[in-house]
Amino acid sequence: MTRLIRYLRGYIKESVLGPLFKLCEASLELIVPLIIAAIVDRGIGGADRPYILRMCLLLVLMGGVGLAFSVTAQYFSAKASVGFVSRVRSALFSKVQSLSYSDIDRLGTGTVITRMTADASRVQNGLNLTLRLLLRSPFVVFGAMIMAFTIDVKSALTFAAVIPLLSLVVFGIMLITMPMHKSVQRSTDGILSTTRENLEGARVIRAFRRENAEILEFSEKNDTLTQVQKRVGRISALLNPLTYVLINFAILILIDTGAVQVNLGNLSQGQVLALYNYMSQILVELIKLANLIISISKALASASRIADLLEIESTEPSGTSCEPLSSEVALEMSGVSVRYAGAREPALEGVSLSALPGETIGIIGGTGSGKSTLINLIPAFYPAERGEVRVFGREVSEYNPAYLRGMIGICPQRAVLFRGSIRDNLRWGNESASDEELYEAITTAQALDVVNAKGGLDAMIEEGGRNLSGGQRQRLTIARALVGNPRILILDDAASALDFATDAALRRAIRDMRGERTVFIVSQRASSVMHADKILVLDDGAVVGYGQHDSLLLDCPVYREIYETQFGGGDGNG
Amino acid sequence: MAKGNTKSGTLKRALCYIGKYKLLLPVTALFAILTVALTLYIPVLVGDALDLIIGEGLVDLGGVLKILSLAAILIGLTALFQWIMSTINNRITFHVVRDIRNDAFRKLESLPLSYVDSHPSGEVVNRIINDAEQLADGLLLGFTQLLTGVLTIVGTLGIMLYLNWIVALVVFILTPMSLFIAKFIASRTYNMFRMRAESEAAATSYIGEIIGNQKIVKAFCRENEAQEEFDALNDRLGAHSLRAIFFSSLTNPVTRFVNSVVYAAVALFGAIMAVSNPLKEGGIVALISVGELAALLSYANQYTKPFNEISGVVTEFQNALACAARILELIDEEPEIPDAPDAVELSVREGNVSLRDVSFSYTPDRPLIEGLSVDALSGQRVAIVGPTGCGKTTLINLLMRFYDVTGGSILVDGEDIRGVTRRSLRQGYGMVLQETWLSPASIKENIRLGRPEATDEEVISAAKAAHAHSFIKRLKDGYDTLVGEGGEELSAGQRQLICIARVMLSLPPMLILDEATSSIDTRTEIKIQRAFAKMMEGRTTFVVAHRLSTIMDADLILVMRDGNIVEMGRHGELLERGGFYSSLYNSQFAH
Repeated sequence: MTRLIRYLRGYIKESVLGPLFKLCEASLELIVPLIIAAIVDRGIGGADRPYILRMCLLLVLMGGVGLAFSVTAQYFSAKASVGFVSRVRSALFSKVQSLSYSDIDRLGTGTVITRMTADASRVQNGLNLTLRLLLRSPFVVFGAMIMAFTIDVKSALTFAAVIPLLSLVVFGIMLITMPMHKSVQRSTDGILSTTRENLEGARVIRAFRRENAEILEFSEKNDTLTQVQKRVGRISALLNPLTYVLINFAILILIDTGAVQVNLGNLSQGQVLALYNYMSQILVELIKLANLIISISKALASASRIADLLEIESTEPSGTSCEPLSSEVALEMSGVSVRYAGAREPALEGVSLSALPGETIGIIGGTGSGKSTLINLIPAFYPAERGEVRVFGREVSEYNPAYLRGMIGICPQRAVLFRGSIRDNLRWGNESASDEELYEAITTAQALDVVNAKGGLDAMIEEGGRNLSGGQRQRLTIARALVGNPRILILDDAASALDFATDAALRRAIRDMRGERTVFIVSQRASSVMHADKILVLDDGAVVGYGQHDSLLLDCPVYREIYETQFGGGDGNG
Repeated sequence: MAKGNTKSGTLKRALCYIGKYKLLLPVTALFAILTVALTLYIPVLVGDALDLIIGEGLVDLGGVLKILSLAAILIGLTALFQWIMSTINNRITFHVVRDIRNDAFRKLESLPLSYVDSHPSGEVVNRIINDAEQLADGLLLGFTQLLTGVLTIVGTLGIMLYLNWIVALVVFILTPMSLFIAKFIASRTYNMFRMRAESEAAATSYIGEIIGNQKIVKAFCRENEAQEEFDALNDRLGAHSLRAIFFSSLTNPVTRFVNSVVYAAVALFGAIMAVSNPLKEGGIVALISVGELAALLSYANQYTKPFNEISGVVTEFQNALACAARILELIDEEPEIPDAPDAVELSVREGNVSLRDVSFSYTPDRPLIEGLSVDALSGQRVAIVGPTGCGKTTLINLLMRFYDVTGGSILVDGEDIRGVTRRSLRQGYGMVLQETWLSPASIKENIRLGRPEATDEEVISAAKAAHAHSFIKRLKDGYDTLVGEGGEELSAGQRQLICIARVMLSLPPMLILDEATSSIDTRTEIKIQRAFAKMMEGRTTFVVAHRLSTIMDADLILVMRDGNIVEMGRHGELLERGGFYSSLYNSQFAH
């Protein structure tokens, strides 16, 4: 939490005043038993009706003032906690925007999303409760004890004894059950995953006639869960009876000692009543405190996870150059190796390659052969461990990342679109593109029928492009990459959902686009790359072939294998 | 079909589950009554004791001690009863939920696959896990707080009336005020919470969309635009949260204020009446003693608590009922048509499969397959080809009887598959699907899935035949390596090899293979192809074919498009025909 404290700046006033007003309210509450004592001793004892009336009006007045205090406190703490968390969320979002691809890989997007949603709201709740209650409960507990001491030291000793005992019970039960709750959670996760497995593997389970075995397994896990739940339940069920006994026994002792003191003339009847009332106040506050501590410890854990994320140093390249050095060679790689964080084997090793403006380069290979790794080096998404990657003569890490990426149009493997109109989505490639330019890109990407079918550029795309088929999405993402009329175009397995005819038409259209550009086509299909100017064949992170289709067919066994499996036997008539 | 849609229906069904523990119900009710009665009686005793402590030299110490000892015993008993009651309630709740979950899971295993296919798995999981959980919470609260809450209110009123009817009346009239106010605030804040929920959902889905695709955002340098948009959503969420949190947090202080008014009123009326003490103003009947006033004050303090609790419980209970309805709906779901009572065990001799005039559709208004007749003779290879999403898996669904044909029939060795048990039919097929599902267990157990009695040697030789042995033995724990959720991460290709080994081990007379290898590297692909080829020898095989080599060697090619079989024949014939197949085939070579 301390690491996040700077986001509280600007809410200092609220975070101090909130608890302060709360304490004022609590002090008023502590005075109530004294007033009741006065009513009994002076009012009833002295048969002073006007006094009773005055005191009761005072009670109402104090309630009113307490209400005002407490409303003020609630407002300040709500304002501080909401403001604080809004800032933290914005800082988190901005941190994530600054991260590099490797950072994102390492963190995992799921984790980041949890930090910004569940963790952030837990912190908000925790801070709000802390400001409102953390000081209040101990204040009331100890305040009650101190008030008891001012009434009668001997009786107050009961308070001094019972408070630690009560705390022991309340916090002891909390500490014992906390790990047990975790094991309940684990067991629940167990039956959850069995259920999910059985839905996802329904066909296999039935094909192998495993239904009864699965039922048995589930009911065993379910039994275990029930057992653990009952065990936690038994212990939690001790809380109320134990605290009840402690408090009430303490009250009995109070009355007993009180009786003796009154008989000796050291105490009055009203004062005994006041002591009794103070004792009653303690229990409620201790239980509140225990619950509060659970929420706060959860919030603290969330806060430290958030702080961890905020403290990450981005590994994004920090270059500033916006000037290419030459326009003769679009891309040049020499002796490039890449190793992902934590991987034993390099993902790419000793790759050299050059591409001239206007050339089309095909990159082919199986899954995990390093195709995507290779093309991700061009926009400096990942750094090369060794070797050089130059775009238009300049090392990619020297470029300002935004400038470099502005020159490149990329169509990633996963065809993702965002919620918004088709126009909004396509303009990601170039914010100021006119409708004509958009339609030009759409036509090239073979997506005209998609846009027409949806009702034009203003048609809305749902989150993740749900309302489009895989092939439709893919064509629109290709169009998006084309909109900026980029000097380098990268199609990373971008046509996998397209049928062969559309794929071919797409390649033709890209070739005929105006302007000169270098195109990289990554694919597993031989048919997609066989007409490229150069084909790079990757296998297991290494270049095993580099050249044109015909020569590769002769001297690159991996390329031949791929070609033959796709075009049927050695006698394929392609 | 049993419909549990109405509220009372759901309640009745839920009660059936509780019925199993009906002997415990009167016990817990008894303990609830005892606990409440004793809890309410203690303040009276304390008040009695206070009355004996009048002033200097006026204390009846013996009397006080007597009352206090009685109170001590009763306090001990109360605690004991309370604990027993909670333990019983825990037991009933957790057992009921366990039983419901077991039933739901059992139903899951007998549901038709159409149900599994048409319901997102998250939704079903949610019913069995979360809904059951919330049902448990609701039941537990209902048991522990509903009965005791009602009893406490009734009891408190009764005792207050007994002690002093005027004060009781004051409390009775004033306390509903706090309920009204709480309700008023809740209804006012409902809108604020709805707005907050909306802006929260907007922010969350934006986070999911952008952060989930952060790489694309970066690829297009949209970081600043995204931040701007997020900040706008975030500010809106902040503003809505502040209002919702602040206004809803008013409930407590305001009800506390009402309570303090009630408290002051009780003190006022009580004290005024206590002043009219016969000892001091001779002749007038004693209206109230100080001890009684103390008891009344403590009741006034506690009286509103069960009200608030009960209204909480009622909401919780309604939620629990809704959850129960969802999970019961699953339990009441129509199961798969059971095997015919006279179903025989199919023993496949030849493996001749014939489809006679088969029609099928997932939904009645969209006919899919109509009048399809195909004969696959023993040992033949039938290839199913077509573009993605053309319904190739539909045919597999019918062969394995995951779905039943809507017209015509499917025969295996002359036997209608609806006349044989599903188990024996499925035993006749070996299946390797695109979705390479592995059970969360060791590799060995996964390979043994089809033949649990196989020896280790048999498992290993099956793995060798599937070209899986070499990678398995290189794993840390070899054949004992755990796979599936939470286990070793295997590549799609490795998983598929294990699935093939699984079929290799049981070697059934008929095969269903899905060749889809888009996620498998070339090397593994070749291995898999070899393994497939070996398996297919002498077996009737249905292949969802992606490779030309498979297609060209097939004895029969079924060409599918939009769910229909549009062409059927051998490779050469189909090419000559110049139809869909030939255009599909030729498009591969388009420049």
